[in-house]
Amino acid sequence: MRGQWIETLMGFVVLALAAAFLIYVVRVGGFEGVRRGYEVSARFGDVGSLAPGATVSVAGVKIGTVSRVSLDPKTYLAQVDLAIDPEIKLPADSSAKITSDSLLGGVHVAVAAGGSPEDLKPGGEIENTQGAVDLFGLIGQVVRPQPSGDPANED
Amino acid sequence: MRLVRAIGQVALAVLNTVGAVSLFALRGLAALLTGPWFFGQLLRQLSAIGFFSLPVVGLTAVFTGAALALNIYVGGGRFNAEQIMPQIVALGITRELGPVLAALMLAGRVSATIAAEIGAMRATEQIDAMRTLSTDPFRYLVVPRLVAAVIALPLLTVVADTIGIAGGWLVATRFLDFNATVYVRNTVDFIEGWDVVSGLIKATAFGFIVALMGCYYGYTASGGARGVGRASTHAVVAAAMLIFASDYLMSFWFSRL
Repeated sequence: MRGQWIETLMGFVVLALAAAFLIYVVRVGGFEGVRRGYEVSARFGDVGSLAPGATVSVAGVKIGTVSRVSLDPKTYLAQVDLAIDPEIKLPADSSAKITSDSLLGGVHVAVAAGGSPEDLKPGGEIENTQGAVDLFGLIGQVVRPQPSGDPANED
Repeated sequence: MRLVRAIGQVALAVLNTVGAVSLFALRGLAALLTGPWFFGQLLRQLSAIGFFSLPVVGLTAVFTGAALALNIYVGGGRFNAEQIMPQIVALGITRELGPVLAALMLAGRVSATIAAEIGAMRATEQIDAMRTLSTDPFRYLVVPRLVAAVIALPLLTVVADTIGIAGGWLVATRFLDFNATVYVRNTVDFIEGWDVVSGLIKATAFGFIVALMGCYYGYTASGGARGVGRASTHAVVAAAMLIFASDYLMSFWFSRL
């Protein structure tokens, strides 16, 4: 019966691990919760196919991920929340740009570090942004030019 | 003519087995519906089939989740889509691997045990003795095992899903530079209720298969110790094959919904 006790204990250990992970998921996956990495936001005119989980990089090196993409109901700009590695401090005048990983692949947020001596605070906003380029819109403009400017095409 | 006869023999044997298993299952269901029920036996089987399978199922799930995460990361990386990994891992675990792996571990662990137990009782004529004492062996031996497996496997699958995703999360955050919070959020945002529920429906069917194969081959065992050994081998093989076949069928139906 001693072996049985060990098995019982192991059963409880497995249950406890599963329960611990579930609690973690509920705490983090809910809308409020502890998070590692600090969050900054940025507003873009067009995010293209940017989705939560996309990479945030500086000079091509990954420093964080996109945690949320939502629409600001007042300005109709896309509000993008970025979770940044706490060890990376970004200057307050950094700029963010949405670029393609490849011609047809996914997109990521490329951050260009500014020169300001002040750091971007957690919860702060990257003011200087450039949205995704609508590639097919551009092609369409070249192939069939419209007399008036296309509002989706910004620079 | 001899060839035709041989083919016919095999076909008849297969049909025979299918019919016998179906009748056995129907008899089990009839016994389940009419009672009397042995709740003590049910509880004992629940702990043997369910609780004591937790370590095995947990270990399988954590390694599968971790390996799946690594492989999908590599595959996703071939077209710059590594970031989709949490979603694919979660989908693969909940819809497919959680229920199937839990069921396979249970087939190895439980089908064999059931077949050996009941087969040994058959070989030592305990089943006949039971009938002489007017205890229906179907209600006392078969029904509690069937019910226990049908209840236990979905619960084990919930644990396997959780631990499998945790395994993927562990590898992703430790070795692949994923943000722990973002990983979990992506998973939670992506997974739909149906992904989990369809896996649990599969698990229920697998639980029935696992216990039915064990009971059937144990109950029909003949030929002493060798017969018992053969019965447990057959039970495991048949349970595993039926799990895979029914898994495909159910996945096919679920993908059409």
